[in-house]
This record gives sequence, C-alpha cells and structure tokens, in this order.
Amino acid sequence: MTRAKGERSLSGWAFLAPYAVAVVLLIAVPALLNVGYAFTDHTGLTRDPQFVGLDNVRRLADDAFLADSLEASLFHVALSVPLRLLAAVGLGLLLAAPRPGGRWFRTAVYLPTVVPDVALAVLFLWVLNPLYGPLNQLLGLFGHPGYTWLSDPTTARVGVVLMLLFPIGEGFVVVLAARRLLDGRLYEAAALEGCGPFGQLRRITLPLLAPVLVLLAVRDTILTLQVNFVPAYVLTDGRPANATLYLPVYIFDQAFEFSGFAYAALITILLMLITAAIIAVQLLAVRRWRVLR
Amino acid sequence: MAGRFVLPALVAALFAAPLWFMLTGSLRPAGLPPPRTLELWPPEATLDAYRRLPELMPLFRYLANSAMVAAVAVPLTVLTAALTGFGVRLLPPSARRKAVVALVVVLLVPVTAVWATRFEVFRLAGVTDTIVPLLAPALLAVSPFLVLLYAWSFGGVPDSQLQSARLEGAGWLTVWRRVALPQVRPATLAVAVLAFTFHWANFIDPLLYLHSGDRYTFPLALRFLLLLNPTDWPLLMAGCVIATLPCVVVFLLAQRVLLSDDPLAALRRGRP
Repeated sequence: MTRAKGERSLSGWAFLAPYAVAVVLLIAVPALLNVGYAFTDHTGLTRDPQFVGLDNVRRLADDAFLADSLEASLFHVALSVPLRLLAAVGLGLLLAAPRPGGRWFRTAVYLPTVVPDVALAVLFLWVLNPLYGPLNQLLGLFGHPGYTWLSDPTTARVGVVLMLLFPIGEGFVVVLAARRLLDGRLYEAAALEGCGPFGQLRRITLPLLAPVLVLLAVRDTILTLQVNFVPAYVLTDGRPANATLYLPVYIFDQAFEFSGFAYAALITILLMLITAAIIAVQLLAVRRWRVLR
Repeated sequence: MAGRFVLPALVAALFAAPLWFMLTGSLRPAGLPPPRTLELWPPEATLDAYRRLPELMPLFRYLANSAMVAAVAVPLTVLTAALTGFGVRLLPPSARRKAVVALVVVLLVPVTAVWATRFEVFRLAGVTDTIVPLLAPALLAVSPFLVLLYAWSFGGVPDSQLQSARLEGAGWLTVWRRVALPQVRPATLAVAVLAFTFHWANFIDPLLYLHSGDRYTFPLALRFLLLLNPTDWPLLMAGCVIATLPCVVVFLLAQRVLLSDDPLAALRRGRP
C-alpha cells in the first residue's frame, strides 16, 4: 500500500514537472538575469554587454524622470488599491446571495474585465474626452462644467484610477466563492442574538474572510504597481508632464525605446523592492489590526 | 426589495455603461458635432464605421492572426493547467498544501519583472517575430489561478475511482484523460474561456515580439489605428467593439459556471 502511495505521489510530481520547468525557464531565469544585466552597459541592441560596476546605481540618484515615475506609481497605488479592493469586496458581498437573475447582475459587474486592455484604454480615451466624452456630459447633468481629463496631470492620474476601477473581476469572483464557504448557521445564530446586517458584516463576514482579503490586497498591490502598463501606455503614454509615467512604462521606455536595457533591469529590481516593502507594511498593519481587536 | 434588487441593478448598470458607450460611440456618424447632453443613443445611428474599418487596414488579416494564436495557445493553456492541476490532486495532502502555496507565490510574481530579460532569452534563441514567444504564457497556464481552479475541481473526483482505474492497469495519463477530465467539464470550460480572453487580448507580448506588420494581432492593430486616426471616434470604437465582442460572447458561455450562486460547487459538477 505504501509503495502504491509513493508511486502515486511520484506521478503527481511528474505531472507538475512541465509546469515547473516553464516557471524556471520563463520566470526564474529571466528574473535572475535582471540582477546580472543591472551591472552592465547592455543596450539591448548588441550581444556583448560589459561589466560597469555601480554606474547604473549612480545614475538612479540624479534621474529626474525616475523621481517623477516613482511619484506617479505611489500616487496610483495609494488611490487605486483601496478603491479596487473596496469595489471587489463590496460588490462580491452585495451580489453573493442567491436571488432571481443574480447571475446576470454578477455578469454585468464582470464584463469590463473581459474587455481587452487596449480596447479598454481606447474606450476611456473616448469616455474621458472633454468635448465628446460621456463622463463630462454626465457631470453636465449635475451642472458641473467637467474636466479636461487627460491634459491635466492630476485629473489624468485620477482618470487612470477610474479606468482601472472597472476590471476587478478576478477579485470579485474570489470574494463570491469565499463568501459561499462561510457557514450559514453562524449568521442564523447572530440574527437570533439580535445582530443586524452591519454587525454580521463586521463580526462574522469580514473577520472570517480576512485571509482572503489579505491575499487579494497583496495581489492587487502587485497588479496595480506592475501590470497597469498596457492601459497607461495606450491611454496617456506617460503624459502629461510625466504624470502617468508609471514605473512599468518607464522600464519599457528604457528597455525598448531608449536602449537602456541594463538600466531598465536595475529599475525592475528597484520596483520589486518597492513592491516588497509595500506588501511588508500591509502585512504588518494587518497583524497590528488583529492584535488590537 | 430595495436592497435586493435596486442597488444590484444600479451597480450592474454602472459596470455595463462603458460597454454601452463603446457600442453607441461606434454607431455615431463621423464628423457629428459633440452632443449637448448625455447621449444614450446617437442620432442617425449608422454602421458606417464598420464599413470603413476594413478599407483602412487589413482587418481580416489581423483577426485571422489573432484567431491563429488563440487556436494554438488556448488548448495549450488548458492542457498545461489540467495536467498541473491533476498533479496537485495526486500529491499526498501535506505535499499538496506546499504545491498550492508555491502556486500562490507564482501568482504574486509580476510580469514586468521578467519582460526585458525574457525578451533577451527569446532574442538569443532567435524566435522573435514568430508566434513562439506568444505561446510562453500558455506554457505557464496563463496564471496559476487557472491551475488552482483545476486542482480544486479534481479534488471532487473520489480517490476510490482513481485507485480502481489504476488497479485495472490504466496509466495515470489514462486515468487523467478517461476518469478525471470528464468529471470536471465545467472547469475545463471556465479555464478555456479565461484562457481565450487572455490570449485574444494579449497586447504586451505581440508589442514586444512582433515586428512585421503582416503578423500583427488585432490588439496591436487597434493601437496602430489609434496612432493613425487619433480623433476618428466612431472608427476607434468600432475597432474596440470588434476586439471586445469575441471575449464577451465567449465569457457568456462560462458565466453559468464562474458566476453561479455557488461557483465552487459548479466547477465540480460533472456536466456544465
């Protein structure tokens, strides 16, 4: 019997092997190569990078574009992650309960997620257009004159945040599924104790979902910091005045437009460190919050 | 009543609104002055933009390229996710937990971290400007999320069935194909649909790797349409509708599983 079990577990690993090889070749090796390239003068055009020591690190210090880029990314994360999380969790909990037509409400919420990135960006160029765009017209209904969204640094950043509030489907589905796993009897007991819907939310739902919420927050921080490239690249391409030159956009520019491949590798490492730092702060805050309760 | 239907309906309308404006934007006649107030349906709606699109660019070539990538990449993604997910299922519980944690860690690795250097790997291998780099995400099952989806679904296949098939002398690959896969059809549907929406929409990889215009996929073509006609809104919105429509249609097939009242149970149900 144990032999059969050992054989089965071995087969399990064999099934996992192709995926593991792909992870090593397509993720681990390139990630390590970043470290190697960061200390060379590689331009991405030739094949013989030379070791240049800390030259690229020195360049970081007086790169005004990098400072702009950092500011843009941090602004975006600070605004976008809480809003996206609030939307995904709020809508997930609102729409989880079975109701006639419930699936169609959920489908409507999920639909913007299946819109291809480029189409979403082009669509928002239209939505945010000061003259033709539906958003300014909507504001007009309330007597507001509207904004010149993408021409002004602050509103351009807000515009990108607004656009990325729509594709929240992944977190939304995870919340839907996690909510179904909670025991219904807990809610019945709470209701008997005279605990209203908000009390149930605060005392049962949110604490029990906490691990899922933390995972979603961490994942969304990473997505928001690093994967907002396509929409931002197509929507504003870093303009106006570098207000939306998020780090991934700057990395792309350096690596593939300015022949600064090695420098881009270094900024990639910097971005990873910043991401790790933000996540560490989040995890610490969660621990603190749990102790306080 | 208000809480059960009115608020959900408002939310649904809010999220459907951008798609509605995409559609109505594509139906506006070109050169119409800006609307004075919120325009829910354009005056003199016309399909003119859809007629002009193939005249301005080789639309069908790009669509065919995209379809070709999807036709190869989607089955490859499903295969990778299903094999890996079954591997997780076969592991003893303690090892299974470790594998799931490892998958979650991979979920947290950002794509940007490996863009430039992955490009270098493919350049050295001499396969840039071919379909090969576009298949790389498929070998990673697009996202560990899809592997976890399969791992969960295979968890519903009883051990006794796996063992008895094995005792009858079937290899694990046969067990996977004959016993396990038929029981998780909803999961296969969901994974295939999510894989399609990813590969059809993939923009970064074609942008990095494709140089010849005749190999462009449609998302790349849409960006060039934007660069060439930055203010022809009906035309651009028509392009967006064409890019979005296949994803919406395909997703509507999977919403029965992914967005049902109990998605985790729906994934394990034998028939979609």
